[in-house]
Amino acid sequence: MSNKNLISRKQELPLKDDSSSLFLQVMICIAVFLFAVTLAGVLSINSMLVTWNESILGSLTVQIMPVNDANVQKAQKGTLEHQQKALEVLQSLPEVESVTPLTDKQLQKLIQPWLGDGVDLKNLPIPRILDVKLKADAEPDFAKLAEKLAEASPLATLDNHKLWLNKLIKFADGLKMLALTVLVLVIAVTSGAITYSTRTSLGLHQYIIEILHTLGAKDAYIAQQYAKHIGMLGFVGGIIGIMLAVPTIFMISRLSEQIEGGIISEARLSIGDWLEILSLPAFAAVIAMVTAYYTVKRTLEKMM
Amino acid sequence: MQKNTTTPSIIEMQNVGIRYGQGPEILSDIKLSLKKGSFHFLTGKSGAGKTSLLSMMYLAQKPSRGVVSVFGKNVNFTNRDSLSMLRRRIGVVFQDFRLLDHLSAFDNVALPLRVCGMDEREVKKRVTELLQWVELDKHILATPATLSGGEKQRIAIARAVINRPDLLLADEPTGNVDNDIAPKLMKLFVELNKLGTTVVIATHSEKLIADFAYPCLHLQNRNLRILYPSSSLRNAGGSHEQ
Repeated sequence: MSNKNLISRKQELPLKDDSSSLFLQVMICIAVFLFAVTLAGVLSINSMLVTWNESILGSLTVQIMPVNDANVQKAQKGTLEHQQKALEVLQSLPEVESVTPLTDKQLQKLIQPWLGDGVDLKNLPIPRILDVKLKADAEPDFAKLAEKLAEASPLATLDNHKLWLNKLIKFADGLKMLALTVLVLVIAVTSGAITYSTRTSLGLHQYIIEILHTLGAKDAYIAQQYAKHIGMLGFVGGIIGIMLAVPTIFMISRLSEQIEGGIISEARLSIGDWLEILSLPAFAAVIAMVTAYYTVKRTLEKMM
Repeated sequence: MQKNTTTPSIIEMQNVGIRYGQGPEILSDIKLSLKKGSFHFLTGKSGAGKTSLLSMMYLAQKPSRGVVSVFGKNVNFTNRDSLSMLRRRIGVVFQDFRLLDHLSAFDNVALPLRVCGMDEREVKKRVTELLQWVELDKHILATPATLSGGEKQRIAIARAVINRPDLLLADEPTGNVDNDIAPKLMKLFVELNKLGTTVVIATHSEKLIADFAYPCLHLQNRNLRILYPSSSLRNAGGSHEQ
């Protein structure tokens, strides 16, 4: 075999031998892991908000306060009469699909966390609850509806869940802001590490860079070699980070599912969400390439 | 004093001074005009400023004062990318070779072509031919660490001329080569000069200066003088005002 056939182009800058390469790859791996887990959290919160919104929009709760009477049976009867009046008013409305009074069993389940099992509701002044389903495209005037209910029964109060939902949305927004802050910090720290590592490497290879400049290499030629090398480090580091993050996300998801009836169990990641998470190594590679490229260009501009 | 007004200047220096930091000037009030196709030796004692003068010529350094124009461009007002384009027209042979130790002889010689983005097939053709010419075709894959001083020097020279430069600057190019190789390399420089390349060779070798009757740019006491060998005034393409 002749020498000619053995010729293969070698990179002018021996960046693979830099000791900072491994550090940078581990750094990017950790950053992508944290980013993926946090992003999964943000996307889960978003999906929870959508689920809550969908389940709450189109439903109302009407509560009938118990009649205040020393005679328990009389009070029970009075409360049920008020419930019936409210039910009739609600059923007469065109926006309402159905009205279902909660059974004693359902009410017992609701108060079970506070009063325990086997509570006899007949001896307690328990409010009655009506579960109201609205028609799909219904946009009722809640103020007027509350007025009508009050006319039929002064003990009836209307709850369209807005207050509860607003509190949840505020809480979820707070979590999202926290997560986004973490994401910004992860990007900033990773970019900082890439910048520092690139500058160190430029100092290390100053001799070669001077020779390349003397031979007519433009800054972009050198910057491209750095961008290619560090971009590849970012991609491989990102792949490893994702390989660690995916089982972690599944584990957290499995743990949250065990919280029976809890809010968190409603968090689900869609296929689109997973695609976003799985695209993080490419995102890491792009960030690494762009940071390295412009760091080299800026640093070299200070040289002749 | 001789001036050629019709041939364009490759390098022009006006009142050029160089100092490092707050130290004294290494070179003062240098005035020089190197015409296209000229051939000069650059002489002077060690520390006279030969390397500093050469580094201004190959655009590695800007003057502390005065004006340096290379290929008609004032280097003080030329942007970085344009400076790179000018450097591609200059071949440099360094005294310490400045080869890249992790690259083979082939890759070292191919560097100037690759930074220009030349097609890899053309790179292989040109580099292989030139390495054969400097008798290094058997060491095409050898790294500089495994080569002798003379072989390294031939690689350095091959790298400087591979791009057929308009200006060739060489710092002691025959200092490390065998006696039978030195004339061959000088012949290469002369041939390139005949094809229009402007050549400046820094040397201490009196024999070289005597054998090739070209004018000398002589540095002494921070100033530049031009010395014309009486027999070779016809070869002088440079002018110097002091």
